[in-house]
Amino acid sequence: MENPRSLLAIGLVVALVSACETTPDPPDPQKQLIERGRDLFFNETFEGNGRTCGTCHREENNFTIDPVFIATLPDDDPLFVAETNPALAENFENPRLMREFGLIIENLDGFGDLENTFTQRGVPHTLGMSLSIASPAGPRTGWSGDGAPGDGSLRSFATGAVIQHFTKTLDRVPGADFRLPTPDELDALEAFQLSLGRQQELSLPLPLKGTVATRGQAIFLDDTLGKCNICHRNAGANASLGGQSLGNANFDTGVEDQVDRPQTLTGEKVPLDDGFGTPGDGTFNTPSLVEAADTGPFFHDNSIETIEGAVAFYNSEAFNDSPAGQFLANLDPNGVGIQLEATQVVEVAAFLRVINTLENIRESIALLELGRGREAGSAEAAERALNRAVAEIGDGIDVLRAGGLAPDAVMHLEEAKRLARKAARAWLTRKSLADQAIEALVEARDVLVRPA
Amino acid sequence: MNKLTTIFAGAVLSIAFAGQADAQKATEQFIPIGESPGLSGSQTHIGRIQGFNPASGILSLNANGETHDVRITSDTRIWLDRSAAKLSNLQGDTSDFEAGRRAEVSYVDPAIGDTASWVKVETDN
Repeated sequence: MENPRSLLAIGLVVALVSACETTPDPPDPQKQLIERGRDLFFNETFEGNGRTCGTCHREENNFTIDPVFIATLPDDDPLFVAETNPALAENFENPRLMREFGLIIENLDGFGDLENTFTQRGVPHTLGMSLSIASPAGPRTGWSGDGAPGDGSLRSFATGAVIQHFTKTLDRVPGADFRLPTPDELDALEAFQLSLGRQQELSLPLPLKGTVATRGQAIFLDDTLGKCNICHRNAGANASLGGQSLGNANFDTGVEDQVDRPQTLTGEKVPLDDGFGTPGDGTFNTPSLVEAADTGPFFHDNSIETIEGAVAFYNSEAFNDSPAGQFLANLDPNGVGIQLEATQVVEVAAFLRVINTLENIRESIALLELGRGREAGSAEAAERALNRAVAEIGDGIDVLRAGGLAPDAVMHLEEAKRLARKAARAWLTRKSLADQAIEALVEARDVLVRPA
Repeated sequence: MNKLTTIFAGAVLSIAFAGQADAQKATEQFIPIGESPGLSGSQTHIGRIQGFNPASGILSLNANGETHDVRITSDTRIWLDRSAAKLSNLQGDTSDFEAGRRAEVSYVDPAIGDTASWVKVETDN
């Protein structure tokens, strides 16, 4: 392959294939809008401090950030702008809490007292948002459902994010410290975000194969035991009762009342986060659980590192004494909110790990199908899709392995990852390698769940 | 739906949707008059202040040749829009409702257009 004749022959083949190409399909306006949104999301600084939406919502890390990922970033990454821009050195971020716990400052109760009035929240991922932000009372964005200015929609969210996070100084003057997104840019950013992740709810129960995950699913769905499905219908972000969807809803679950929250042990200033409204009512909106296991830490304050810990939280006094816990207790014949044995906590977590991995598999198959042919639209987009597939498969491996689950599925996922990585680097054999990776993913899926 | 489930649903709804009317949306303070996404141009009124009656709490705004009487309550947020002067926008109060100033009003319920959720008043200092 290294000699000039071989290269010449390949060149001729490429030229002939190119000459035989049919006229490309007319561009799909929605795809174009999404692609423009992608470009804005990852590259547009809005003339601010250098951050983009992708600074915190990293594509290679499930559109979020966490302390382990943050530790891999160079010191001149725009995430750390409070450490490099003197105008943002005070009251913009807390670098220690950002690096140690992945916490970002939000001035949700106003900008009148920056030193004392702020909250510190984790970065929610932006996956599956087409399924998780609608409610009868309007769209719910951010951890407390009220993160967007204007009409409160996801479309308007970017405007608020630019003002909060992209500013060069704390004066936050449009035209000087940043520019506001245009209506066209807001349209594109919304379209891109809505395109991310799954577009369909699960339909539980799934025909799972693993004993532990199967028991976890049963507990999850049992409204007298786990009670999870009341607020996380089908492990999503929406509540439902009696067949009636309540959409995405807010609850006060007592997360702020936990003892020994890690950030409070540091001695740093950690004001109470009062949730929705000004002053807040203590409620936060419900995140989807399908994507949970590979997007920790958990809760709005990143206070729990593991999915097992997040499930165990619902056993705590903080939850059971909270309005949401008391509500469940009042409905229970024995006056119990949620009380699971340690084994049951692990079983529910195992179920969440398995459905997360199934979503990793679904997404990575879609990405491999996109990246193996010409559908991606460009060589760069194809390679990007394949690299994302590698990351998704890697997440599935990590999620199962950390729970000691389904070693056979892990083996198939390892093979799929190896093939997907090769496909991302290959040219002539890309399609074949991607197809083989998909086959391995299907085998992994078959270990976890019976075919429909 | 049985009785228990109905009670259950009602209780969940009351927990879930308490305090819906007033979202935080604090960054609205820094958005200049006329640029609030999804609101300006369709759900708000932009015009000149005609006057403010402290006793009744009614702000009169002339927008597009019509006078709109807007109820100002303790929950109404008032901001001074100084962005044209390249200055930081500030929180204001009803004493900033000076006749002739340009202002934008957003409503708690745009369909009714009675009570203001926020008012932005343009000023250059």
